[in-house]
Amino acid sequence: MRRPCAVLPGGPRRASREGRSLRFPAALCWGARRLEGCPGHVAPGAQPRRAAPAPRPCPAPRRCEMAAPGGCRLLRLGRRWFSQEPAVPPPPGPLYPPVVASHTARSKAARRRRLEHFHRQVHEAASIEEKLRLYGKLQRPKYTVHPQTFALNADRWYRSFTRTVFVPGLPPPAEAAEEPGPAAGAAPDADLDLGALRSLACDALLQESFYQNKRRPFLYRDQDHTPGPFLTQLVSSLAASLCGRNPLLAASSLDLNPEVNYYWHHGEEVVVHGHRKGRVDPVRFQIDDKPHLQLRVPKQLPEIVPLESDLGDVPVIDHKPSKLPLFKKQYENKVFIGSKVADPCCYGHTQFHLIPDKLKRERFEIANLEDQIEVVYRANGVASLFAWTAAQAMYQGFWNEADVTRPFVSQAVVTDGKYFAFFCFQLNTLALTVETVKNNPRKNICWGTDSKPLYDVVEEGSVKGFNDEVLLQLVRFLLNRPKEL
Amino acid sequence: MAAALPGLAAAMAAGGRRAVYPLFQLGGPQLRIFRPNFFMLAVRPGVPQPEDTVQFRVSMEMTKVDIKNYLEKIYNVPVAAVRTRIQYGANNKKNHKNQRVKKPDYKVAYVQLGKGQTFQFPNLFPEKEQDEEARSFDDFRKKYLEKEQQIQKGDPRRGGVPDWFGL
Repeated sequence: MRRPCAVLPGGPRRASREGRSLRFPAALCWGARRLEGCPGHVAPGAQPRRAAPAPRPCPAPRRCEMAAPGGCRLLRLGRRWFSQEPAVPPPPGPLYPPVVASHTARSKAARRRRLEHFHRQVHEAASIEEKLRLYGKLQRPKYTVHPQTFALNADRWYRSFTRTVFVPGLPPPAEAAEEPGPAAGAAPDADLDLGALRSLACDALLQESFYQNKRRPFLYRDQDHTPGPFLTQLVSSLAASLCGRNPLLAASSLDLNPEVNYYWHHGEEVVVHGHRKGRVDPVRFQIDDKPHLQLRVPKQLPEIVPLESDLGDVPVIDHKPSKLPLFKKQYENKVFIGSKVADPCCYGHTQFHLIPDKLKRERFEIANLEDQIEVVYRANGVASLFAWTAAQAMYQGFWNEADVTRPFVSQAVVTDGKYFAFFCFQLNTLALTVETVKNNPRKNICWGTDSKPLYDVVEEGSVKGFNDEVLLQLVRFLLNRPKEL
Repeated sequence: MAAALPGLAAAMAAGGRRAVYPLFQLGGPQLRIFRPNFFMLAVRPGVPQPEDTVQFRVSMEMTKVDIKNYLEKIYNVPVAAVRTRIQYGANNKKNHKNQRVKKPDYKVAYVQLGKGQTFQFPNLFPEKEQDEEARSFDDFRKKYLEKEQQIQKGDPRRGGVPDWFGL
């Protein structure tokens, strides 16, 4: 297509016979007006190739090497082809765009540039929803981590994926640490009406298992038949009765069968099959958890230990996670705490998990796998709490490039109706990707107990062997609140 | 049992033909022992496996329950979990008659050991300790081979150009 140009003596533009190259766009210059320094430049005194007026000396000898070919025409003094204003001096500042790596090349520099562009996009996102949308925009096959799993020694694997240290036993209560004194320490527990709470628990248990006439449970649905409703009833009545002592509970929100999801990257692997074979990809994980009950509160629970504490070691797994067994699937990368971002109750207090029928104690005992019973509780506690606290942190705007500045604490109770295990989790770091974990000394910490029975047996309208310790621990969990309240 | 035994004895006595055993029912006398016709081959895993996992090649007809019982009853190995898969043998190669040659299919079992046991596949071909004579002979042979290669290559000052090239 011929560019519009003013009529100039010398005839229309013609292609130069010399070798064209980008460095000498003078090939596109007019023959008679070739400037000094360009190939084919006609010296002022020499015979021009065509009949043309005597070539004037070039006002800008080297300007033919400009990026815009033919731009020398614009700079010719005395001839203004595109504007009538007097020649404006070029604005100050860099003449050329910054020299950066390519965006689309198959090189490490290009990959780094794309990653930095992505990080900048997420950092500059306008709102939290936008940030979460950009964070989980790219869908690729990822490992689905199930908190309740039959896999052997799953809690060790889950601790490695989530960079968590497990400390057996629960942390000492904060009041006892601050005011060492039997009176002060026992005061919160002393005026607890344990009898009333015990009767609440026994009422719920008897109602579900003895008084109410129920049909036989469906096959493999024992947990939904009695322990599920008992847990719901117990927690709702205890929370309601403890509202007076803990104002946080009055402002809390109790979710029934909520959904908790979290998506993260940890480690690297080489893609094995497909059109992306040979590329180095981060290992992606997704937790989709459905706790039985969940208490969400508007204020964050206090931290248990300082952010940079080191209470143990994280197990190192040197083979692929698929040997656990763990399987890959590609679907939506969801980050969800149980309610959307705009909900005022955006921090977590306590989760209650019900062990399904497939992972009952009796099944493990029949299969001679008694040591795996506690593993189920621990794996459930670690995975569920990590997903919940990390999703809470993402709701506050933190992610693996913007690590948390304050620890996020949540609690969980894992039960199968009779046996209760208590867990406490402090999220100190979200930075689990390969680049961010290199210089990250922080580890997440999970405290947990073994499972203890709440009662021995229910017979003839009464509960035998009720364990007050377990009830007390549950009540202490519910009474946990930030120091200001 | 008393009724069964005379029957057996009668069968054995009548010409040494194969004895007819009574049908076994749960709780009855165990008159026969069945040895399985299955074989399990422990193999070195191709990819790194967890410490408690052993990889076997088993017969195609074996099930996970069969493998568990086999290991527990015959070898007293506590088995926590078994996972199996069937490896398809490729059918791409061709022989000298241009017929496709199939590699046989086989079943692979990943057995996770119980009671906290671990297993590491041993190194079946360890480096042998060489004595003085063997080591010095090896050194001598290496040096001789290097010298031979150097002579083959030619003068290094010629930069790889053959020696027939020139004036």
